[in-house]
Amino acid sequence: MSKPKVGVFGFTGCGGCQLEILNLEDQLLDLVSAVDIVHFREAITEYSDDYDIALVEGSVTTKHGVERIEKIGDIAKIIVAVGACACTGGLNCLKNLYGLEKAKDLVYGDKKDWIDTIETKPIDKYVKVDYMARGCPPNRFEIVDVIRSLILGRKPEIPNYPVCVECKRNGNTCVYELGMTCLGPITRAGCDSRCPNSVSGCEGCRGIIDNPNVNAQKDVLEEYGLTVEDIMENFNLYNACKKIEQK
Amino acid sequence: MQYKILKKNKYQDFVKGLIEDYNFIGPTKKDKSVHDFVPLNSIEELDTNYLKTTIPPAKKILFPPNEKLIEYEIGDEIKVKPVIESSETVLFGINAWDINGMNFLDKFFSKDFVDENYWDKRDKLTVIGMDTEPTENNFALSMDTEYATDGFDLYLHDLGDRYFVRVNTPKGNELVEKYVDFDDASENDFKDFDKYMDDYRAQFSNKVNIKSFYDNFEMIYNDEEFWKKIAKNCFSCGSCNLVCPTCFCFNVKDDLKLDLKTGEKTREWDSCMIPEYGLVAGGHNFRPNKENRLKQRYRCKLKTYFDKFGQYACVGCGRCIEACLAKINIAEDINSVKKEVNV
Repeated sequence: MSKPKVGVFGFTGCGGCQLEILNLEDQLLDLVSAVDIVHFREAITEYSDDYDIALVEGSVTTKHGVERIEKIGDIAKIIVAVGACACTGGLNCLKNLYGLEKAKDLVYGDKKDWIDTIETKPIDKYVKVDYMARGCPPNRFEIVDVIRSLILGRKPEIPNYPVCVECKRNGNTCVYELGMTCLGPITRAGCDSRCPNSVSGCEGCRGIIDNPNVNAQKDVLEEYGLTVEDIMENFNLYNACKKIEQK
Repeated sequence: MQYKILKKNKYQDFVKGLIEDYNFIGPTKKDKSVHDFVPLNSIEELDTNYLKTTIPPAKKILFPPNEKLIEYEIGDEIKVKPVIESSETVLFGINAWDINGMNFLDKFFSKDFVDENYWDKRDKLTVIGMDTEPTENNFALSMDTEYATDGFDLYLHDLGDRYFVRVNTPKGNELVEKYVDFDDASENDFKDFDKYMDDYRAQFSNKVNIKSFYDNFEMIYNDEEFWKKIAKNCFSCGSCNLVCPTCFCFNVKDDLKLDLKTGEKTREWDSCMIPEYGLVAGGHNFRPNKENRLKQRYRCKLKTYFDKFGQYACVGCGRCIEACLAKINIAEDINSVKKEVNV
């Protein structure tokens, strides 16, 4: 079997997801032995339009972005969304909460007409996404797991259970007990509960599990003297696109 | 069983001797709400006067949340190396219901299949029990687990000015003879111990009628409304399973390295409350609803394993009640079954 050709592509975001791939450090040599990396702007000079697997970070926020992602959709056999912006729209979706015109006004003032910006969307609104390595930043070991699974022809094990599972395995004291809010009970695990491990509430960067018990979450907040607004502020950080969609 | 007395002025030297000689795991304060059992290097870190621990101490040691089982190498032939890591360890300050939880795991990991990873650690574990104050959610008294009759080497009951010590094994006896002088228990000591146990049992305020639940369980088994009501706020987060001293389910993961030649298999705690638990190849899920999963959990804990082992898979520690953000309360639910059936 010839080695699969992999392209790494960045859209709107901080570029940290590409950096996480580079942060693999002691696994990088094994990675480039297992696959041919043909396009990776943050790491190599060469570029190519011939690839089997596309790892895509960032959300789509410009018309040019739409053209680029559609082209990737035409070429790649498999598309993996990497990181919160690509998977859920991420922080960039905060723009949509204002409405496009108001956001442009606020940021660019009288120069707003110079700017080609559209409503933020995660990449699966434009192309078929096969797998998602979620999170902000994504778990680099999960990116490896996805690539390895693709090589082996099996399905990557990406959890669809809440962060609480990993948090309890790690023996953490529930941050609600410590007086903080946490989106852990409705957020997809896979991060090894890294925020609660550092005594900090989960902000939902990996997106919401398939069947969250949102009503229960509201009851819990009341129990701990918090309001829905408290948690929605948290929720908006990474999941504004989903929220707007549900309205 | 032998009965000894350890004077308070000798307690420190006894513990210091153990810390000196063994991998010593005991309770220490973790944060404002819980203690945690961790390896300790000095007696100053030890705080046996604890109320809550998130993860049950014996389970954490014997059946850790993540455990490597094998390493393998794929070449002309496949080489497989079992990985079993253990060392002589003293578990100090574990209470009676957690010892009884461990006794359940002992049965589970030896009944149909002797789990070497568990037993290698268990055989090297010296268990020294001590009573701790029950939380308001603890219903160990109703589950007959507030007192341990087996599973420990030594048990120290604090009578105020001295410890009443139960010596359960030859290993326990060696420790009694090794460090400091223990006295034989006198008739008076036994009287004081009886009085102590009466007072201790009086501290358990949360009571359940487990017999009635067991007897009536099949009658409510198909009552969908009942289970829907109980499970309404369930997040399916698995916290109840993961903090439980008797939950034994695990998932085995295959981790083939990127060189595609070497790898390992590890097991991690699983949870019957998460939706994927009942998912099988082909995409069918045997327990897609949270009501269904909760019902199954109660049945496993309070019926199935009583029938199998003569011991409930619940020791009444109350951890699942305290860990549940949705306030699902197994003690209240046990008691509610009688009422439901009466209506």
